Amino acid sequence: MEVFQALQRLHMIIFSQNVSPCGKFLAAGNNYGQIAIFSLSAALSSEAKEESKKPMVTFQAHDGPVYSMVSTDRHLLSAGDGEVKAWLWAEILKKGCKELWRRQPPYRTSLEVPEINALLLVPKENSLILAGGDCQLHTMDLETGTFTRALWGHTDYIHCLALRERSPEVLSGGEDGAVRLWDLRTAKEVQTIEVYKHEECSRPHNGRWIGCLATDSDWMVCGGGPALTLWHLRSSTPTTIFPMRAPQKHVTFYQDLILSAGQGRCVNQWQLSGELKAQVPGSSPGLLSLSLNQQPAAPECKVGSARGSGDPGRPGCVDRSVTTLLPLGPDSRRQQLQGGCLYQSGLPSFLPVLLTSSNTPTSISGV
Amino acid sequence: MSSESSKKRKPKVIRSDGAPAEGKRNRSDTEQEGKYYSEEAEVDLRDPGRDYELYKYTCQELQRLMAEIQDLKSRGGKDAAVEIEDRRIQSCVHFMTLKKLNRLAHIRLKKGRDQTHEAKQKVDAYHLQLQNLLYEVMHLQKEITKCLEFKSKHEEIDLVSLEEFYKEAPPDISKAEVTMGDPHQQTLARLDWELEQRKRLAEKYRECLSNKEKILKEIEVKKEYLSSLQPRLNSIMQASLPVQEYLFMPFDQAHKQYETARHLPPPLYVLFVQTTAYGQACDKTLSVAIEGSVDEAKALFKPPEDSQDDESDSDAEEEQTTKRRRPTLGVQLDDKRKEMLKRHPLSVMLDLKCKDDSVLHLTFYYLMNLNIMTVKAKVTTATELITPISAGDLLSPDSVLSCLYPGDHGKKTPNPANQYQFDKVGILTLRDYVLDLGHPYLWVQKLGGLHFPKEQPQHTVIADHSLSASHMETTMKLLKTRVQSRLALHKQFASLEHGIVPVTSDCQYLFPAKVVSRLVKWVTIAHEDYTELHFTKDIVEAGLAGDTNLYYMALVERGTAKLQAAVVLNPGYSSIPPIFQLCLNWKGEKTNNNDDNIRAMESEVNVCYKELCGPQPSHQLLTNQLQRLCVLLDVYLETESHDDSVEGPKEFPQEKMCLRLFRGPSRMKPFKYNHPQGFFSHR
Repeated sequence: MEVFQALQRLHMIIFSQNVSPCGKFLAAGNNYGQIAIFSLSAALSSEAKEESKKPMVTFQAHDGPVYSMVSTDRHLLSAGDGEVKAWLWAEILKKGCKELWRRQPPYRTSLEVPEINALLLVPKENSLILAGGDCQLHTMDLETGTFTRALWGHTDYIHCLALRERSPEVLSGGEDGAVRLWDLRTAKEVQTIEVYKHEECSRPHNGRWIGCLATDSDWMVCGGGPALTLWHLRSSTPTTIFPMRAPQKHVTFYQDLILSAGQGRCVNQWQLSGELKAQVPGSSPGLLSLSLNQQPAAPECKVGSARGSGDPGRPGCVDRSVTTLLPLGPDSRRQQLQGGCLYQSGLPSFLPVLLTSSNTPTSISGV
Repeated sequence: MSSESSKKRKPKVIRSDGAPAEGKRNRSDTEQEGKYYSEEAEVDLRDPGRDYELYKYTCQELQRLMAEIQDLKSRGGKDAAVEIEDRRIQSCVHFMTLKKLNRLAHIRLKKGRDQTHEAKQKVDAYHLQLQNLLYEVMHLQKEITKCLEFKSKHEEIDLVSLEEFYKEAPPDISKAEVTMGDPHQQTLARLDWELEQRKRLAEKYRECLSNKEKILKEIEVKKEYLSSLQPRLNSIMQASLPVQEYLFMPFDQAHKQYETARHLPPPLYVLFVQTTAYGQACDKTLSVAIEGSVDEAKALFKPPEDSQDDESDSDAEEEQTTKRRRPTLGVQLDDKRKEMLKRHPLSVMLDLKCKDDSVLHLTFYYLMNLNIMTVKAKVTTATELITPISAGDLLSPDSVLSCLYPGDHGKKTPNPANQYQFDKVGILTLRDYVLDLGHPYLWVQKLGGLHFPKEQPQHTVIADHSLSASHMETTMKLLKTRVQSRLALHKQFASLEHGIVPVTSDCQYLFPAKVVSRLVKWVTIAHEDYTELHFTKDIVEAGLAGDTNLYYMALVERGTAKLQAAVVLNPGYSSIPPIFQLCLNWKGEKTNNNDDNIRAMESEVNVCYKELCGPQPSHQLLTNQLQRLCVLLDVYLETESHDDSVEGPKEFPQEKMCLRLFRGPSRMKPFKYNHPQGFFSHR
């Protein structure tokens, strides 16, 4: 069934991605529940062939879409419809890899199994926070595999999570349009910001949902239905509103810049002042995630990757240069990872300009 | 000494004079008393040795006397004169002796010469004789070899062996007692016997000839009788036809068909035999017939190889001339093309009857010079069909059988050798002639037992029964499915054009009872138009929009929302699903490029089509997909989040039961319909 396969590829969506602890591999999860492993070092090397851009391994991980993935030192954790599964990075490249364990948060029975939209590792207490369709944040102890607590307060499903490193606090943003700040020590909600209620950033025609969120000390950036906005947490006031019309699905701090992606073909780089520093176009019409390869051990794998929704068959990607804002030559090392619908680009020459710091090995992966 | 030599010469001179010699002879005559004087005879009596001694002695005496005379003269005394006189006399005597000796010597010499001459002549005579004898010997030897080498004609005659000869030959010829010891007589006898035998055989041969003549005459007579029988039999046959018809026994017809089949070219013959066999064994709805002029086929069959060879030869010439004078030879080239594309005068008609009494007529042709088979198809239905405009291509002979097997468009020639033939007469591709000739689908070649391996040359192509048989069943089934699905589409299109999506009762459970969105338009569009649509780029780039597909545009409306759907209908429908690309016009234009939910709707109909197939053989797929599209549009519109800032009620109040409105990072809408509970959920 050639036609069917072509159609399936055409309608593939990469929801999540994660760089391996060593920084050399990239895992990507799609809407058919498959996880594909790509070799970044092979795909980005100067002698990369078409073949090396295809997944090394593809396996069926979940029944439904793979919405979220994180990795610890040894494990890759993936979550989809109601379940989180753990895979050993060391064994993942072998054929017939089986999950190490699987856990289901304690859901109240319902007609539908709630999905897990976000996973967050809390390294200090060695726990994992899951959030999604049942409007709650579940904390799972990675040591024992038990669910220790549930935080509730959201009135609709949760899209995203972010961790404040200094104080053990977690931020969550959801479909109800609120960003809630939780104190992990007391397991209580400490602050609520209802973004859509602020006139500056509210955009009623897009809805009130918060699709993405990131923090850095006292600062928080969030976007979605409302405009992408930088908030000062202590004063709960929006400080910068970024002039981006399309809803953003992923945002992250990178040094003194903010990277965001969403509807539209570009990954955007913002100054904190709200000025658009650069736009890096990709082939996918919409991006659902970005991820940074922070691993210094593999400097050759500084990568931006993004998922493909929209674009059938050819997943989204981050593509460096080409923008008028970037005085860079034509892209010479853009790579496309096929099959998993992933597009990748080697960014070394692009980083200094784009990210201002040239020494830190970095990668952006987006889904 | 000088005086001595002059003295010696003197006698010679004297002898040549003759006269003084006479005198001397006379003197010797006196010495030879009683006999006639003959110095010649005297010579024989004297001993040459003693003559030599005498000569020596005489010379010494002369020398002595000369010396004494000189001595006396030099002394010069008185008495010397006498003594000198005395001595002069003595020396004269000696001179006489010398003269005599000289003559003798001459005679001896002459005698010796004569003797030598005589002996030589004798030797010469002997020698001549010897030569003659030798020549004679040689000649004789030659004669002998000639004789030895002589070959008689009788040696070439193959004679019967000796034992056989004595056994069979009558005694008056063999004469055993004479011939046993004498090989010559024996051979003669054997030759006689041979002659005798040959005479007898010749006699026999003449007899046989006359016998043959007689038999020929008999045959002639019998033939005449038989030919007079034929018309009578024919009339009997003619008379029996009504009886056969009356009894439903078409022996005659079948027989005639088999008779005609003998004139079919091999591939068509294979096809004919195999389809007839298949029809009799497995499928009663199949009927086979042969069409065309048998006489023409017979005429073709007479000079089969030669004419083709001429053809190719003149082709080559033609090519050369056309290079030089192409424009003037345009007409001729045209004829060449026609010749090359010529069909065999006979064709096989195959009627495939489907369940609903519609019939697929297939006519198979054989292109003699290209060695490929083509097919023309026609569909007739039991009831008259009202042809919807958009269904124009569905049953057209050109496309109804396209892609029966994946990728088999029937536009290119399956025989790799043809390309070279085309090059010669300037045909670019067979595509331009397909309408006229019929389509050379691969499966047609296989039914005819023609197999064209890619690498091998044309000559390995032979009509093969097993190949035909192995493809017969699948192909017949595919043909039937194709016709049925086309007819189903045909019917469906008629109602689609009137804005009704026909949903059969057994597919009703796939959709909610109330569907508000309506199909308002269903038109066919050209391939080029399809590729130019802005929202079909993905499909075109993925290579799913080939020009063999059929393209349609559907418009689904609800209120102010208009959903355009561009549909790719693969000729292999319904085993290969139609592909939908959507574009929603409502609050701006939404396509899969800027709206994830439009994308989700597309994958609902394109990827999840299997649940829409309905009962086998899934002829309802297209209509179900369209109905699903209407439902999806309902869900999309009703679940669209209400913009609080806009006054007034929502245009599309939510009527569908949904568990959740949005789900997941991409905020999908609940497109999945759950039967029988009737609510919508996420996939």
